[in-house]
Amino acid sequence: MTPALDSDLIVIGAGPAGMAAAITASKAGKSVILLDMQPTPGGQIYRNLEHNTNSGSAQLMAALGDGYQAGLDLIRRFRHADGIDYRPQTTVWDLRPDGVVGWAAKGRAGYLRARHVILATGAMERPTPFPGWTLPGVMTAGAVQTLLKTSSLLPQGKVVLAGTGPLLFLVAHQLVALGVRPELLAFTHQANPGFHALKKLRLGALRPVLRGIKWQRELKRAGVPMHHQITDLIASGDERVEAVSFRSEGQMHRQECDLLIVHDGIIPTHDLAHVAGLALDWDTKDRAWFPRTDMAGRAMLAEGPHAFGDSCNISISGDARLRGGAIAAAHHGSIAASAAIQGQAQEPPALRKALAVQPFLDAAFPPGFNHAQPADDVIICRCEELTAGQLRKAIATGIEDLDQLRGVTRCGMGPCQGRSCTANAARLLAETRNDIPPAPPRLFRARPPVRPISLGALAGLSGRDPALAEISAMTNFSGLEKTGDGSD
Amino acid sequence: MFAPLTSITPDLTIYFQGYAIPACHGETVAAALLRAGVRPFRKTPVSGAPRMPFCMIGHCFECLVDIDETPDQQACLTLVADGMQVMPSQKENL
Repeated sequence: MTPALDSDLIVIGAGPAGMAAAITASKAGKSVILLDMQPTPGGQIYRNLEHNTNSGSAQLMAALGDGYQAGLDLIRRFRHADGIDYRPQTTVWDLRPDGVVGWAAKGRAGYLRARHVILATGAMERPTPFPGWTLPGVMTAGAVQTLLKTSSLLPQGKVVLAGTGPLLFLVAHQLVALGVRPELLAFTHQANPGFHALKKLRLGALRPVLRGIKWQRELKRAGVPMHHQITDLIASGDERVEAVSFRSEGQMHRQECDLLIVHDGIIPTHDLAHVAGLALDWDTKDRAWFPRTDMAGRAMLAEGPHAFGDSCNISISGDARLRGGAIAAAHHGSIAASAAIQGQAQEPPALRKALAVQPFLDAAFPPGFNHAQPADDVIICRCEELTAGQLRKAIATGIEDLDQLRGVTRCGMGPCQGRSCTANAARLLAETRNDIPPAPPRLFRARPPVRPISLGALAGLSGRDPALAEISAMTNFSGLEKTGDGSD
Repeated sequence: MFAPLTSITPDLTIYFQGYAIPACHGETVAAALLRAGVRPFRKTPVSGAPRMPFCMIGHCFECLVDIDETPDQQACLTLVADGMQVMPSQKENL
């Protein structure tokens, strides 16, 4: 007996891709449940935009800029769309390829089931392992932006930005616009994009590239010193970050600092795709896994036996599928929903245009902190405080995969469930293997719940576990309950 | 580390280790604690190292605190409520 469907479509994530997918499905007359971790719609890019539009200061809105304000129209259309059951502050801890979703909110939890699921969980910042990256006062560029958008909080004291990527430029530009002059910018990329990056410039990339050049000029005019191609970044201090040091052009630099803002580009979140058993491919250049999907985002199952049947009713959209930013994500969300409903969708020219700058950005700002293999004293697993040296020592005893490494060292077993350490632990494993060609790193085996859930919530689970419901139906059918001798 | 861009008008109070912290409806526990200058949020169960929010979007689990006696809540995902009692995460090393 298959449990009844709760809706035609479940969308996970209320960023640009998720909102656009939900709107498209609702317009087609489909019922949609949208689950999102945050209290209001917008994702990270349009975080708290409704509130800031109504009561944020003019100075804040000006600094956050057009790219932020542009999201308001999408949010309003999402709010006014019919047939969307929007559930904010809801985390998702399980996903199955047949359309079953495990959710938790406010101490309660349950299962939902839809004909199709669209994963629009966005990107996360690529973990940035270097000595001292666990010290209080070291935060990601995204974290600083979140505090700005949600609480109008501005860094104070001595601020240093380090790393690479468009977001780092954006945050530096916004800080200067709000009157905070960073002590210095320490970039891992080179000062001028090389030929390998320039040859990837496309006509559609003109506006974003010009905007980037403008930001860079403004930072120079503000007198913020910039260093390029830095290596050996170290954050030091006892109870918090007190200083940062790095090597640039053969010289060591040291700077006192109260807040070190780091960024090493963004990668797709893959936790739910992985627990659902979807195919993920390792990208060596990106040091990350990407889901295997078609143009419309339809995912496929990983090779191997499938616990929940061979069909896959999951699509992946937005930055969780392919890094491309908010505008591309919104276009893709619509396509993903259309394809899920009608079975096919066309790639609109607007999506191609929105993605035009990405190849240049990827080439000009390659992973920096993740470029070289981490030294032995660098913490890899933040939760269990395991250094690269400790993991290498364990690997040298004959460990061959992440599951064994997790079992022996606890790497990836902490509260974050491997979100910060998996890719770097996998790279440590790869360096001791001499496979030719190098074998792509394999992930841990993932099991639900992928986010913590209380035993109380589990005990009161609503919406029967569909797999267990099927087993119990089978048991009743064959009469095992009646004929059993009670010794099972 | 952080200061409000413009003057704020707190409309509720939360408590960190018993100390009153003014907060605004709709913001997260992590934001309220950072504005108040709370440092650190917790010490790790492994070595006792101090930790603070790192990613602010629910991935890193560095901002774990105990809220109203429920252990290990993500301060960056939890909205403030009047009278909320917040304590550093008390987890033992198992």
